[in-house]
Amino acid sequence: MEIIDDVRTIIAESLKIPVDRLAPDTRLDELGAESLDVIEIVFGLEEKFDITVPFKADQGTRVTVPGKNGPEEIEFTTVGDVANIVQKLVAAKTKAS
Amino acid sequence: MHRVVITGIGVVSPIGSTHEAFWSALVEGRSGIGPIVNMATDHMNTRIAAEVRDFDPAQHFDPKRVGLLDRFSQFAVVAARAAVKDAQLELNEELALAAATIVGNGAGGLTTLDESYLKLYGQSAVRAHPLAIPRYMANAACSQVSMDLGLKGPTFTTVSACASGTHAIGQAFHMVRSGQAPIALTGGTEACLVLGTFKGWEALRVLSADTCRPFSRNRSGLVLGEGAAMFVLETRERAMARGAPIYAELLGFGMSADAHDLTAIDPDGAARAIRSALIDGKVNPEEVDYVNAHGTGTVLNDKGETVALRIAFGDSADQLAVSSSKAVLGHSLGAAGALELAATALALHHQTIPPTANFEEPDPDCDLDYVPNTARNAPIEKAMSSSFAFGGLNAVLALGRA
Repeated sequence: MEIIDDVRTIIAESLKIPVDRLAPDTRLDELGAESLDVIEIVFGLEEKFDITVPFKADQGTRVTVPGKNGPEEIEFTTVGDVANIVQKLVAAKTKAS
Repeated sequence: MHRVVITGIGVVSPIGSTHEAFWSALVEGRSGIGPIVNMATDHMNTRIAAEVRDFDPAQHFDPKRVGLLDRFSQFAVVAARAAVKDAQLELNEELALAAATIVGNGAGGLTTLDESYLKLYGQSAVRAHPLAIPRYMANAACSQVSMDLGLKGPTFTTVSACASGTHAIGQAFHMVRSGQAPIALTGGTEACLVLGTFKGWEALRVLSADTCRPFSRNRSGLVLGEGAAMFVLETRERAMARGAPIYAELLGFGMSADAHDLTAIDPDGAARAIRSALIDGKVNPEEVDYVNAHGTGTVLNDKGETVALRIAFGDSADQLAVSSSKAVLGHSLGAAGALELAATALALHHQTIPPTANFEEPDPDCDLDYVPNTARNAPIEKAMSSSFAFGGLNAVLALGRA
């Protein structure tokens, strides 16, 4: 199963919407996600993938993740962004272990 | 309708447990926030809090009694005793029978709950401690204050998250004002620095990793704290007749609900509570000199509260001095409003505005006078203390110079 499929499932469950509404370029705010929904999604991702997402409710939606050429910043905006963030954090974890 | 005054203040706080120590730290901006020492932080991402570090229960309670009191009740009882002593109040039988005791706390005995659940779920204990429930119950602190001082009038607990203390004091104020009780012991208490609660706050992603910088652009979130503040409220006639010290007069109390978001502040709801406190106290907005803000040090609060003050005060918002004590006290949830009322009453008493400590960088979205870092000697005739809680529950007190 691809990471993006798990990400879509977690977002759909948090927002109580059908998973087929979630395409990679779907924006979370267009789905009506409010700040507590986003925090719940982050929690779901951390539990599922055993990662820590450095997301602060207070500092916008920009998340810093390890990239090929050092840390990079990704906006927590679309379903694809979220999958990208998870992908990078999972890769960093696998590399570390 | 009676005029109501504050004649006694008792605090247990991260910056000291006499109100002299409390006040000097507030004025000097000496923060009680620091590395956590009272609990293991192995399982935590956050390593800082505003802890009460100098509190030894054995100094205040005999060994048989201490087992009955969770830390949040211990704080409340010690603060209540100090308030009575400070007010030079003699509780004779007639007064004790009528005295109200109203205490606010956001939760209950969280230390007891955490210990009990650790044993049951973590260590597979087969039985809970028989005192777990009486220590934990949300009204335990209030009941312990009533029992300790022998107060037998109207007695109950208010629970409204971060506005609990302010709601309690507001109820007590209205009861004394209406003549329902001649005096009241009231305030707020919280002892929430335990793993279960901390992890919950971490999960909300609003905790700062370094310190609390209210209204400062480089803010990094809120810092949890703990403590209690208790007050003796009584009618002005009674206080004058017995020659009691008067710190400040309580003038008005306002409440509102946002009916909007579970965690985010709604400026309209907050502004309605402020306006209603002004109306209740027959205070014109332009008469207010100082506002002790809720000021948690989160973006949402600081911006939202600034907008609320502009809505409530209109043009006179630019004349206000606004400061947050949370840079020094941390956020002690249900106790916060009470500790901040102590700060506000002492500001009126000393005619000095305590600063917003840790203010490093002006924020274009927070464009009021936040009294950055340095206390200000200024005439204060009228002041306010605001609490805006999770769940959208708002409570605001208006005060006047004694």
